[in-house]
Amino acid sequence: MSETTFMGVERSLIDWKPVIDYRKCDYCMECVRFCPHKVFEVREDEEIKLIIKNPHNCVVFCRACSKLCGPDALSFPDKNITTQRIKEIRKEMEGHG
Amino acid sequence: MVENFAILPCNGLDKCAGVISRELAIRLSEQADNKIICPVFYRVSETKYNKLAAERPLFVIDGCQTRCASKLAAEKNLKIARRIIVADEAKNRHMELTDSLRITEREAALIDLLIHTLHEESWNHPAALTGSPGSTDRSEGLIDRLFDVGNKSDTDLRIPAEDLDASFDFDYETIQNGKFIFRIPKNRDIFFNENDCWARVSGNRARIGVTDYVQQNLSDILYFYPPEVGDEIDQFGELGTIESSKAVFELVSPFSGKVIAINEKLEKNPELINENPYELGWIAEIELTDPEGDKELLIGFEKYFEITKKKVEDANVK
Ligand code: SF4
Ligand code: SF4
Repeated sequence: MSETTFMGVERSLIDWKPVIDYRKCDYCMECVRFCPHKVFEVREDEEIKLIIKNPHNCVVFCRACSKLCGPDALSFPDKNITTQRIKEIRKEMEGHG
Repeated sequence: MVENFAILPCNGLDKCAGVISRELAIRLSEQADNKIICPVFYRVSETKYNKLAAERPLFVIDGCQTRCASKLAAEKNLKIARRIIVADEAKNRHMELTDSLRITEREAALIDLLIHTLHEESWNHPAALTGSPGSTDRSEGLIDRLFDVGNKSDTDLRIPAEDLDASFDFDYETIQNGKFIFRIPKNRDIFFNENDCWARVSGNRARIGVTDYVQQNLSDILYFYPPEVGDEIDQFGELGTIESSKAVFELVSPFSGKVIAINEKLEKNPELINENPYELGWIAEIELTDPEGDKELLIGFEKYFEITKKKVEDANVK
């Protein structure tokens, strides 16, 4: 089972996931082997062999897989924007009691 | 001067960074008494290099983040004394690496630059060449060990963190899973984020580290890549990385602030993080910028305990 909220905020409202740059990715699959959260999916027979299947499984603010990516093909949203957004949503939630 | 090392380079022929690593190793061995360990041969046969590896400190040159050479060192149980990652060095210098497997002018220029920096400049960072001069205090242990440095620099930028160093009674709750024990401190002034990092706050400072969950998952930690003293870190920004043969873990800072100290003991003994990541194995201290604002997005013991318990149980089910 994966977490469904982060800091009390519905996980699906938070934009945090790796983005694959297919111009750089060489399908070494290090990221897939590493991440235990089933964020990635390997598609052996397709032209694009790797996709982000479950973006909301990605642990907010984790960037671990990008550290293992040789060609530097993984990027993440701007952490400050994400932080701000989480704070805003929390404020809104307070407002609605 | 880079001298008296055993050099273990990446010599990956599938990437420019690998080719540069190989060339860099050759140059370092030509210029001074350094000996190369061929990673390809070393993988199949240890005997040739065992003596070399035992006698000399190890200098690892990784081409890219795949860190094949570091992984090989870990596999062979070698302690890395010094490492650079060519792709990072290129990035720090705003140089794009191409797909070329030839050393052209560009690559040669980078190699020259790296050699120059390695030989001439401050050995102030165990893992990157780009540290600011003046922070030479940070890796004295390493420099001491590798070089006969007579004039130790005393340019200590840090403010003594007496309050955080004073004896502190950690009050642990534990979660057990087979032979693994996960300690989590209950003290009220310790905060956590959901990225398994903790912060112990004292006045306007905090000492930060990873939790038992991280060190148990990584198992033997071999390498500590600290942040720079003086760095300004955002909340959830990167506060250094630690590395085992299994993986790299990036510390996600619970608080925003300025790095005022790092745990220098870890440079020589990263295994202290495995022993106790809350006490001797702390990572860094920061001066807090917005503690109250940051706390809004942090959790206390109860919540972190609950989350960890669930993670440990889920891992069990797999
Ligand atoms: S680690 Fe990087 S290069 Fe390898 S499959 Fe993942 S995204 Fe692609
Ligand atoms: S950032 Fe972390 S949780 Fe997200 S995909 Fe990468 S390793 Fe998995």
